[in-house]
Order: sequence, then C-alpha cells, then structure tokens
Amino acid sequence: MPMQIGEKNFKNRVEKGLGDDFMRGAVKSAQSRLQNNRKLAAEDLGDWEDWRTLGQEIRQHTIENLDYYLNELSENVAELGGHVYFAETAEEANKYIQDVAKKKDAKKIAKSKSMVTEEISMNDALEDIGCEVIETDLGEYILQIDDHDPPSHIVAPALHKNKEQIRDVFKERLGYQNSELPEELALFAREKLREEFLQADIGITGCNFAVANSGSFALVTNEGNARMVTSLPKTQITVMGMERIVPGWEELDIVVSLLTRAAVGQKLTSYITALTGPKKEEEGDGPEEFHLVIVDNGRSKILGTEFQEALHCIRCAACINVCPVYRHVGGHAYGSIYPGPIGAVLSPLLGDDEEYKELPYASSLCGACTEVCPVKIPLHEQLIMHRRNMMEEREMGNLAEKITMQGFGVLTGSSSLYKIATKMAPFVATPFIHDGSISKGPGPMKGWTGIRDMPAPSKERFRDWYKKRKAGK
Amino acid sequence: MEAGQIHNKDAFLSKVRNHLGVIEVKDHVEKPEWSVSPQKNVLKGKSKDELVEVLKEQCKVIHTDFYQTKKNELNGVLESIIKKFQATSVVSWSDEEMKKYLNGIDAIIKNNNIDFSEWDDSNPEESIKNAEKADIGITYSDITLAESGTVVLFNSLGKGRSISLLPKFYVALIPKSSIVPRMTQATTKIDQEIEAGNLIPSCVNFITGPSNSADIEMNLVVGVHGPIKAAYIVLDDI
Amino acid sequence: MKVSLFITCLGDIFYVNAGKAAVELLERLGCEVDFPASQTCCGQPAYNSGYHTQTKRSAKNMIEAFENADYVVGLSGSCAYMVHEYPHLFENEPEWKQKAEILKKKTFEFTQFITDVLKISDVEATFKAKATYHTSCHMTRLLGVKDSPYTLLKNVKGLELFDLPHKEDCCGFGGTFSVKMNRISEQMVDEKVMHIESTDADVLIGADAGCLMNIGGRIERQDKPIQVFHIAEILNSRGEV
Repeated sequence: MPMQIGEKNFKNRVEKGLGDDFMRGAVKSAQSRLQNNRKLAAEDLGDWEDWRTLGQEIRQHTIENLDYYLNELSENVAELGGHVYFAETAEEANKYIQDVAKKKDAKKIAKSKSMVTEEISMNDALEDIGCEVIETDLGEYILQIDDHDPPSHIVAPALHKNKEQIRDVFKERLGYQNSELPEELALFAREKLREEFLQADIGITGCNFAVANSGSFALVTNEGNARMVTSLPKTQITVMGMERIVPGWEELDIVVSLLTRAAVGQKLTSYITALTGPKKEEEGDGPEEFHLVIVDNGRSKILGTEFQEALHCIRCAACINVCPVYRHVGGHAYGSIYPGPIGAVLSPLLGDDEEYKELPYASSLCGACTEVCPVKIPLHEQLIMHRRNMMEEREMGNLAEKITMQGFGVLTGSSSLYKIATKMAPFVATPFIHDGSISKGPGPMKGWTGIRDMPAPSKERFRDWYKKRKAGK
Repeated sequence: MEAGQIHNKDAFLSKVRNHLGVIEVKDHVEKPEWSVSPQKNVLKGKSKDELVEVLKEQCKVIHTDFYQTKKNELNGVLESIIKKFQATSVVSWSDEEMKKYLNGIDAIIKNNNIDFSEWDDSNPEESIKNAEKADIGITYSDITLAESGTVVLFNSLGKGRSISLLPKFYVALIPKSSIVPRMTQATTKIDQEIEAGNLIPSCVNFITGPSNSADIEMNLVVGVHGPIKAAYIVLDDI
Repeated sequence: MKVSLFITCLGDIFYVNAGKAAVELLERLGCEVDFPASQTCCGQPAYNSGYHTQTKRSAKNMIEAFENADYVVGLSGSCAYMVHEYPHLFENEPEWKQKAEILKKKTFEFTQFITDVLKISDVEATFKAKATYHTSCHMTRLLGVKDSPYTLLKNVKGLELFDLPHKEDCCGFGGTFSVKMNRISEQMVDEKVMHIESTDADVLIGADAGCLMNIGGRIERQDKPIQVFHIAEILNSRGEV
C-alpha cells in the first residue's frame, strides 16, 4: 500500500467521510477515550510541560546531528553482526528486502505494525516475488483480511471499523463463528496467528526508536506480536524512517515515556522490547540474522527547511486524537497513510504536494494539535508555512483568490481606502439583507451563507459612532 | 562474531549533511545538558517498602495479580497460583538464579501432577514447543519499575525470550531489592554498561502485565498474542 | 490610564455594540479611551491563507496606527494574537521587527487587560440570564488567556454561568476555513451548537467576533432561541437585558 490511499479527489473523500455514520461514531468515541486517557496521564505526572520541553530538546538535538547518530548506529549494528542498508528511495529499500527474502528462500513473512513499510509499499513488493506477508498487529490483521482496507490512524489503524463490521469480515473470510465481543474476536486472531508466528521464515518490524550508542531498537507494543516476530523467525528485518533515532538509553526513556502517555495514556505499554543485534550464538531464541533498513524516501529534503521540526514526530497520534477535522472526516479523507494534523504537514513533504495541496487547508488552525504534541512541534504553524509556500512561492492558489488577497493587502494597508470600503459595505449588502441578516450571499460569500447567516453590516460603523461621540463631548 | 555489512552509507549520510548544512564529518557530538530532568524526580527518595506499595497499586491498573511473600514461603504462593490458573504445565528460565528461587518446585510438581520443563538453549526447538504449550511461564525480574509496574528482563543464557511470551499465563518473581522508581534507573544502568564497553543483552524486555489490545473500538481486551494473565510475586530478600 | 481601542474589522462593521460597550466600560473603570482612526484589519485572513506579503501591508499599517499608544486593547482574542505574531512576519526586516515587538508588548485582549493590567476582577455589572461562555481557540491556546473571562463573568450579578461541555473544541470558524472547507466547518459548528443547547443556557457569550459570527450565524439559520453577546456587552450591562 503506498502512502497515497483512496480516491484522488479531496472533496469526494471528504464527502465520503462525512456520509459514513459508522465511521464517525467510531472515531468520535475513540477520540474522546484517547483524549481523556492522555490528559489523565499528563496530569498524573504533574510536570508534563517539563517532560515536553525535554522531549523537544532531545528531538531537536538528535535531528540536528542526524548524520552523526545514524553513523554511530550503523557502526554499532554492524559490529554486533547485523547488516545495515541505507535506502534513499522506497524502491531501493524494497529491492534490498526482496533480495534478503530471496536469499532466505522465504515463503512466509510475519510482520509487526510499521508505518514506514506502508509508506514504501513493502508488502506489495514482497508479494510480487511470491512471499506471503502476514500482518500480526490485531488492527492491521483486520484490515489485511478485509481486502487490504487502508489504515485510518497511525496507532489504531482499524479505528474506523466497529466490532460488528469486524465480526462480519472474520465470518466471511475466515469462517469465524462467534459473536462481536472484542474478547472473542481477539482470541480468534490469537489462535489463527499463533501458527503463523511459528512457521514464519522472516520477521519484519518497524522501529519506534533506534538507540545510537548501542545499536539497539525499541519496539513499543501491547499485544506481544512484535515480540513473537523478533523471537521466533530465524531472520529479522527492521525497517526504520531515518529520523526515528535517539542518542542513548537516557533519551530512550524520555521519548518512550512521552509516547506511551501521549498515545494511549499508559505509563508504559505492555511490552517495550529493546533488541540489540542478532541473538548471541549460544542463545536459544531470537533471530540468527539481522538486517536494518534505514529509509530516507524524501525525509532528507525536509532537513534544513522550516519544516525540520516535523521530523521530530514520535508518531504518538495525540494530534490526530484531538483534531476536530479528523473527528468529522476520518482518516481516509486525508488520502494518505499519515492522516490528521501531522499527516497534513508530512504528506505534502513526503509525497506529491500537488496531490496533497488541500491538506494544509483542512484545518481551522485551532491549535489543539500543537497544544498536545509531546515534543512541541508547532503543527498549526507548519500548516500556515505550507499555505505560504503554496501561495507565495509556488503560486498554487487560484487567480480569484490571489486578486482578492491583493485587494485585501491594498485595503488594509491604507486606512483611507479601508474607510471608504467599510463605509460602502452596508450599501453593497443592502439587496441581500432580510430581517437584519444575510442568508444568501453572492460570489465568495456563498461558502459562508450556504450554511449560516451573516449579520448585516451596521449602518453606523463603530468609528462613526466614536467620532460623533467625541465631537459631542 | 563476524561484523555485518553496511551498504550505501557514505552517499546517504553526505546527502543528510548537505541538507543539514553540515560541512565536515563530525568525529564526536557532545550531548547538551538538557534544561530540565523531570524523570529524576519521579518517586524520588522513596524507600523500597514505599516502592512496593506503588507497584502494588499499579498492578490494579495493569490487570496483574500481586503477591508479596518471604523467600521461604514462596513455594506456597507458587502452588496457590498454579491452582488458581488451573495449570497443568509450567516452564521456567534455567540459569543459576532461577534455580535458586525454584529450589522447592519439585514437591509442587509432584503434588499437583505438573508437567515442568526448563529453558534449554541447546535445544531451542523443544524449548519453544514446551513454552508454546505451557500454561505458565516463570521468570524473575532483573530490574523492577514501581511507577509503571514493569519487570525488566535481561535475556541471556538460560533466560530465553519465549518463557515470558508464549505460555498462557506469566508469573514474575520480583526480588524486593530489584525495585527502582522508574524506567530512568534501568536505562541509566544500561548506559553505564555501554559506557564501560560491555555488551548489553541481545534482548531487553520491559514487561508491564499481560498482553492486551484496544484495536477493536478502543475496548481493552486483556490477553492477545502474549500471556492473557499475569502475576507478580514480590520476594522479601532485604 | 490611556487606552487605545483596537476594534477589529468585524467589530467596526458588524459588532458595533460590543465596541460601544467596551468604550463605556473602560471609561467607567477609569481609563481614557482613544480610537486611532487609521487602524484597519490585523491581516489575519491573508496570513492564515498563506499570503504573507499582503499581511505585512496590514501589519505595517497597524504598527503605525498604534505607534503612540500606551496600551492597545483588542476586542477579539484571535486578532490580539495576530498582533503578537507580527514579529515573526518581519524576520528579515529588523526595523519593523523591532516596532512589531513594541506593539506586541503593549497589546492585550480586552478581558486580559481588565484582569491583568487594571487588576480588576469585578466590574460591577448586572446581567440576568442563564448563559454559557465559548472559549475561543486562539485566545486560550495561542494568546494564553484562559481565566480572565471567567474571572470577570463570575462576578456579574444575576448571571448564571453554565459550564460548556467540550469547551476546548473549535467552533469551526478558522477564518477562510469556514468558507473554503464549509462542509467540515458545518459539522464543527453544529457540534458546538449542540453542546451549547445541552447546557440550558439562553445566552451565549464570547470574546472573539469571528467565533460569534460563526456560531451566531448557525444559530440564526437554525432558528434556535439562543442570544449571542460579546463579553464586553455583558460586562458593561448594569441590569437592563
């Protein structure tokens, strides 16, 4: 599955989202639970703002010295006997992973949840060479069974589905016969996937955080599938976006603590699994062979720009969980595997910005995202920067808007012109006023009056009243 | 151990440097002094007994049964857990420390007709099979984090990853001396090992209760791929 | 104390009563109120749409308009915040950046000015109504003014103030967002109206003209029996409703 998902037209995707009552109900209740959990976890610490400051400092330092830490990481991994492949593009990454699979004559590959492998369409590449790839995260498994339905959330990929829909998919595809109780559905998946873990030739994981000073990888999970994937198959491949790294374990502590709280409100998830190299020779379980694939795929060109902070993201989805736009349109409307505010910032950077040109505008700039971000990425400001780049540097705006905005600049930049224009407003508006307000406006006002009334401009502006009052004193 | 191969590094990193505006390859980067360190204040100055209380409370949050016992009464507690879980098979780690804790297990096995086996690194297939079939897996905790209710397992010879993962139920023996406030103390220790040039374990597991998932309508389901129930036994060793 | 009123464009054209109330109240609280007539719009519509060159024209005009002011008191949290953003706009024009910093330091939102500068928490107003207050996003999150409106409203005699559920949620205004993405904006404002209705309040109070225009416009379209007031009108009220 590539980064781009669903149909091309943004408006159609939005309408589809708005019309999907099942999805909207599921998203709304999930958001309220996740928001609440995050809030309680943050309050429980008592000094959340200090934690955020520390998180920001760590991410900033690491990204500013990314070349150094990636080098340290790769040297440490190689010293432990692991192989490292630096992939500039998705194609390069997939080619390397295919080659490993071919060399191992792999039939079955068990995979734990990873956004970067979605981004580079790794599953398709492996299926092309005849491998069977099994998603083992419960949410991802559900989506895979349901004809590869795309994820709609970066932490809870099947958030848009309710339990009845999941029951039906299991019934139809896997012969499931029990009820829609989540416990029964999960137990069924446990039994189905146990066999797969034991038979898999290769285990593939993403990477929450790599640790440079020891060449380690931390996987943050609750289900235990990532542990299975890294304990049972003989070969392990870990794929990481190049920015997912911290200098040492001291910093790992902080980003993990922020991630689990911001994502789901847990102090720690059930499993934080930190892997360092392949298993040691005399050890019984764990992979004999380890490959690390470090993916650029458009990230390096974000470095050194005003968007560099977007690479500080630790993929907790807190911004998605508070976003009112996401709540109403759902993840698929963003047309990208990265939805919500961080998706609206990242997708135009990592993907084709013409394709994602509406996303920076799909925000009321309410700043809820910025407020909750555990590493203080100024998300709403980044959206404004996108808008500025698109309008002023790339001139992607339409002509009418450009002219309107130029007019705005002229008017508001000159008090005399502004005064004339505002004085005229009530007269221009007169034909549209009924009972003191405007319910059907012309031209660009239609967007407003299509759904709400507009107050009629006051016949006497404030400035007229003030002038008269002052004269009368 | 033979070193692994690194591909494409120079071109990749030089592109990164170009975009960052870095001209020279850095030999060393000094980490800055972070302006705040809130992690060091969590449960600061608490005694071991106070930390045990925090752990006990946290066990309620993470759906984990909590027991506390003297060393010489461990067998009784283990037996009651085995009965509670209605277990007929048990697997455990097999290093020296584990053997010390489980020195009375023979009687329990006999009395309850338990199928018991220890992790054997020289026979991983059999060991994994046993763990996969087992009702209970027992390990001890190398470091225990009070704040989150987490046992930290350093895997090494005799301490297989599968024991805490494949069985239906998981039991962790927690020496009271292993309890620290939070993750910070564990990661500090690991950083110190790295600093001293020591190899760290190939797998460090921070385990917090049984496995779970909220992927279906954000409803918490306890017990997914890993163990479906967990019990912690704090041993008064100090 | 000399105060220069920053009426905002919406205040000048649509919410004239709020402006009148603000002048009267500030005078009653002992301020001398001035209205620099060359002020226009803060530039936020262009800024948020990505037209920063145009925004600078508005900003420069505003900086000059308030050059001689001691305190600038804005009638919308969002517009006051926009003024606080001006220094960012002029990263490459040090002279203007410096002037922008000066304006930023002396610019306050209306309720913030009363509680933080005048140090008054009771303006001795009376307003008999069941009401709820809409916290606007820019004012609370970005300008950081959270408590001032509540502090003042709590002391209004006769005012029964209901807590608004999900008060931190955006109303869906977002400037041009409300027009460009009006289908999404509609869902957001409907949710907001639903939350307001759930409180049994007859009156909605706000401190941001944009939000009030959005929520008020939707309420009017749906013929809901809820009256909408700017907070200045409530605080200036001496009993007549």
